[in-house]
Amino acid sequence: MKKIFLVFTTLLYLLTSCEDDDFCDDPTTPRLIIEFYDKEDPTTRKQVPIYAWADQKDSIYQLVLTDSILLPMDTQSTSTKYRLSTTNIIDTLDLTYTTSDVFISEGCGFIANFNDFGVAKITDHWIDRIEVNVTKIENETETHIKVYH
Amino acid sequence: MLFVTLSNGQEKTEPEAKKDTEVVAKTSTIDADSIVVYKKNYGLRLGIDIVKPILSAVKTNYNGFEIVGDYRVKKNLYIAAEIGVAEQVKRRDTYAFTASGSYISAGVNWNSFKNWLEMDNEIYVGARYGFSLFDQTVDQYTIYQEGTEIDGISGPYFEPRSNFTPRTYENLTAHWFGLLFGLKVETLKNLYLGAHIQFNFILNQTQPDNFQNLYVPGFNKVFSTGTGLGFGYTIAYRIPLYKR
Repeated sequence: MKKIFLVFTTLLYLLTSCEDDDFCDDPTTPRLIIEFYDKEDPTTRKQVPIYAWADQKDSIYQLVLTDSILLPMDTQSTSTKYRLSTTNIIDTLDLTYTTSDVFISEGCGFIANFNDFGVAKITDHWIDRIEVNVTKIENETETHIKVYH
Repeated sequence: MLFVTLSNGQEKTEPEAKKDTEVVAKTSTIDADSIVVYKKNYGLRLGIDIVKPILSAVKTNYNGFEIVGDYRVKKNLYIAAEIGVAEQVKRRDTYAFTASGSYISAGVNWNSFKNWLEMDNEIYVGARYGFSLFDQTVDQYTIYQEGTEIDGISGPYFEPRSNFTPRTYENLTAHWFGLLFGLKVETLKNLYLGAHIQFNFILNQTQPDNFQNLYVPGFNKVFSTGTGLGFGYTIAYRIPLYKR
């Protein structure tokens, strides 16, 4: 009986002494999804060789030919200014929003969702116009902004 | 030699129905008048979980205490209960929280161990209903934001915002059902050492708004399926009331 007890308690100790290793595999704080469209033919996507960077930051896109980009937004602020450049012409997008912190899971903890989303002002050197599709940015499964050029 | 072998054989085949193994071994028969049923002590057994105070002293993120008790109603059937308090701080990569509160659980234990002679050990299975009243505090968190890859290196593009203002959710409750498996060994007369493992299933709980019960006092870590795992090492003394 005492031997069984010893074996059992050892097993119990081994079973319960392992630490939890929860890791994050859920979608977290969404990035802004911008899709580029042809200003002449607004239903057609149009690729653009693009540079994209936030003020005083490195470029996230460096001359990438694409029809859509994903940009992170600053959760410490209520606005993020991005520069979009093609063929050395730079346009500025001023993104404005409020954030709300949402607990999503044990592994990921809290993420930010962006509400009251808008594009406050732009320059229009190469961008013709902008269409804001959603005012709540909660995922990366839909287009948030359409840029016509 | 022969004597020893015989007496061992007798013990194994008829463990509870002998008064004196020497006599039985010599005669190899059992006299009806000599049959003695070893009586069991009945009474209230009270004790504590011995690991919880040690963990409280050693760990900075845990404080807990638990009193255990059971009462023998039949030879192999006990009514059992636990009452305790616990405070657990958990730190994760991007957040930290504290769960603190008290709990009570009650149910039955059924001993399946066949004791020899006057031994009174147990290998038991048990069932419990448990209830906890507790608070959850989100101590701090940093927003989880995936890194951005630039030139093949992934890192934060913007430093995510942190929140250091604790937010407490009070008077949360959880109800659960538990299945136990354990051992109890009588080491000194009426003094028992025990070890058990317990599998818990949440029946009902009040969740905090914009957080989650990840740890519940008495239930321990709540896995995503609403299940939990508990264990305990106990020392308990039986206050003998009568023998039967």
